[in-house]
Amino acid sequence: MRERIIMPLLVIVAATLAAAMAASQSAPPTLPDIPNPKVVVEAPEIGKFGGTYIVSSISDPRTFNPIVAQETSSTGVTGAIFEGLVEQNYLTGEIEPGLAESWTTSPDGRTWTFTLRQGVRWTDGTPLTMDDVLFSLEAVFTDGVQTSTVDLLTIEDKPIRWRKVDDRRIAFMTDKPVGTFLRLIGSLDIIPKHKLGDALAKGGAEFNKTYGIDTPPREIVGTGLFILQSYVPGQRVTLLRNPNYWKVDRQGNRLPYLTRYVILIVPNLEAARLKFLAKETDLYSARAREFAEFKQGEQAGNYTIHDGPETFSSEFLVFNQNPTGVAPPKLTWFQDVRFRRALNYAIDRKTIAEQVYAGRASPAWGPESTGNTLYYNPKLPQYPYDTGRAQQLLAEAGYQKGSEGLLRDAQGNIVEFIISTNAGNTDREAIGNIVRQDFTKLGIRVTFAPEAFNTLVGKLTGTFKWEAVIIGLTGGIEPVTGRNVWLSSGSLHMWWPKQEKPATEWEVEIDRLFERATAEINQNRRRQLYFQYQEVVATQVPMMFFTNPKTQPAVRNTLGNIKLGLQGVPGELETLYQKTTSRP
Amino acid sequence: MLQLIPMLLGITVMSFVIIQLSPGDFLAEIRLNPIVSQETVDRMRTNFGLDQPLHVQYLRWLTNIVRGDFGYSFAYQVPVLWLVRSRLFNTLLLNIIALIVAWAIGIPIGIHAATHQYSWSDNLLSLFSYVGISTPTFFSGLLLLFVAFKTGWLPIGGMTSLDYDLFPWYGKAFDVARHLVIPVMVLGVLAVAGLTRQMRANLLEVLRQDYVKTARAKGLAERVVVNKHAVRNAINPLITIFGFELGGLLSGSAILEVVIGWPGLGQLILDAVVRKDLYVVMGSLVIGGVTLVLGNLIADILLAYSDPRIRYD
Repeated sequence: MRERIIMPLLVIVAATLAAAMAASQSAPPTLPDIPNPKVVVEAPEIGKFGGTYIVSSISDPRTFNPIVAQETSSTGVTGAIFEGLVEQNYLTGEIEPGLAESWTTSPDGRTWTFTLRQGVRWTDGTPLTMDDVLFSLEAVFTDGVQTSTVDLLTIEDKPIRWRKVDDRRIAFMTDKPVGTFLRLIGSLDIIPKHKLGDALAKGGAEFNKTYGIDTPPREIVGTGLFILQSYVPGQRVTLLRNPNYWKVDRQGNRLPYLTRYVILIVPNLEAARLKFLAKETDLYSARAREFAEFKQGEQAGNYTIHDGPETFSSEFLVFNQNPTGVAPPKLTWFQDVRFRRALNYAIDRKTIAEQVYAGRASPAWGPESTGNTLYYNPKLPQYPYDTGRAQQLLAEAGYQKGSEGLLRDAQGNIVEFIISTNAGNTDREAIGNIVRQDFTKLGIRVTFAPEAFNTLVGKLTGTFKWEAVIIGLTGGIEPVTGRNVWLSSGSLHMWWPKQEKPATEWEVEIDRLFERATAEINQNRRRQLYFQYQEVVATQVPMMFFTNPKTQPAVRNTLGNIKLGLQGVPGELETLYQKTTSRP
Repeated sequence: MLQLIPMLLGITVMSFVIIQLSPGDFLAEIRLNPIVSQETVDRMRTNFGLDQPLHVQYLRWLTNIVRGDFGYSFAYQVPVLWLVRSRLFNTLLLNIIALIVAWAIGIPIGIHAATHQYSWSDNLLSLFSYVGISTPTFFSGLLLLFVAFKTGWLPIGGMTSLDYDLFPWYGKAFDVARHLVIPVMVLGVLAVAGLTRQMRANLLEVLRQDYVKTARAKGLAERVVVNKHAVRNAINPLITIFGFELGGLLSGSAILEVVIGWPGLGQLILDAVVRKDLYVVMGSLVIGGVTLVLGNLIADILLAYSDPRIRYD
């Protein structure tokens, strides 16, 4: 009896499953002009077409030339117009197909072959061809062209090589296998040869000036989701939907949904905040201390403030270990890992998180942020705030607190140093004051002296005459892109730049780990190498990281497809949409 | 006029040296970017000519200026003149309107205050003037922005609305006018306050003169005495002030522009100074110097016109 019921049930279940599978395996969407459009699957909803999305920026774009563009005010615009062969998934950080629909790697990991997507056109109607890709590479490697991409595409002092295989395929060759190749090649924006060829022929300096902010908008031709409509200096950048874009949603609708994307240029963060609260913009990246206040205003302001993940950057304290910059006894202390570890225990990260970031920051023990979900090592040695432990470690290393309450080293020198940072950065100044108090508790005589940014950079990269500095660096997903900082030969190897031979065993170890990670193609094995490097840094503490501040984007409720990604990015421009298109 | 050229030259030499001797250069920020190598930074230095000795850089710049070439901005890679031109009109518009408003209000009020000395209206106007003179523009600017935000009557900073391009011409004019209200109020009130005090003091001085007594004695109407005789004589020092104000047309609103986001020269220049975008700073200095000189020249001509006793040979 029971079997008779179960059998039909099974049949029904099986039939449903089969139907579902058939549906999901149904032919991928195509477009009349593009046989293989990319399907964007991250967006939770199918959106509505139309609408304007307005954001604010506190500075003007400096160029519309994506090869030359450096800072976010420019790349924020060029990123919507130009694209690379591959692109990064904003949720996971993984590399996905872009203008290249697929790629293969040779077994030795030294040759990468990319296949160009068919049917993609520049916004002036000219087809995108392999010549454009070759031209973009040529531009990056032309003498005098001002770009940081050349540094990414130069591996151990050797530029990558390339060869056009056929009209749709290009092969890249490197002397050694390069594990991060996909991410590196993703940094290359493809530019139109038919528009920029003449300028490049005249040399690098001329190329740097083309597609400047004085270019008539219709001259700027990309493959991206938006087209530049107008730029009014000091006021706004207006972009319009590219009707021939090569991405579709799950139902095969051509993206993007938005008709217009506007970047308002505002003089400062205060103005950005007022504009958001007055409902003139749709997005505001709130500062940590504004979180509570914005939370209260959610209903009245018709927005939601999100509890976002950590950014990739972190402020840190670094001691100068460079003999050209400091002399003993200070050099001896700074080079002594026991001294550095003791001081690391004395840093009250909880207070920093509370006072500087209103509680919206996690303690940082190593160089990679908690927000870098791909490569963050959660099992690093930690240095929780413990003055007693710090004192004990200092005593073991021969430092004694004298009767007058000052810490002295084994030779009887009073331990004193100057911490600097760039004046005007209120976060760093606040951290500096907390750290100064923490170290004073150990009997150390600390002077905290912020100075002008330019002066500070001059000391860090030029004269090397400094003792301790609080500063931060921008970070990427893949730690090897920070080789300038971590290799002992790097020019930004903060504590002792441009060493001819690594000064310590552990620096040898980091150099070796970076070399291996660069070559490692298997992402899991590369992750293991990155974990080791983070462990060495956390054990040797050449830099004392404070906290990873969290993001708190406030987004207007009229926007659909909001799903927070890495570093608190609220969504993808491709799939964001206005639920009520009251605004044209 | 000719003696002004060495002065302008002196200004440029001094500024050039001061900018260059202060620590750091335009590339400071790039140096701290982990992905940019030392070689790339060095190449940029060479591209910008920053590796040349100071006097070579200056002379090169000077010879180009004489040819009318103000050089390129490091940051924007566009000609300095293009950058200036893209914002010049906005700054001029704001300052000229503020100037007209200030003079149209300030002079009559000053006359009224002088002819009604120590009356309740004079005292009230004095109070307003003192408050006006002592309130910094950035403060009153912020205050008015906040009022605009709370009430929603006026736009919060900027110069045009989002859909400006879609408006007919009268809509465009109305839109800019709405955006002008706050900055013109801030600049205007400051200038009105100063002008009122000046006008009042000068006119009081003149009204005590013998020829005013004579005019009154021969039975002229008080209106004619004041407007035709006294004001005509009292206005001379104000014309000199007017010259200075003409010279400040491009720079007078710099701080306010930064506060309220008026897309003028102020923001551009401030940004350039902070970033050490050398040729933008130098170019705007030259343009500022020239307008100052021109403003004084115009003031001198006006003075000669208004006061026949003054003659230039």
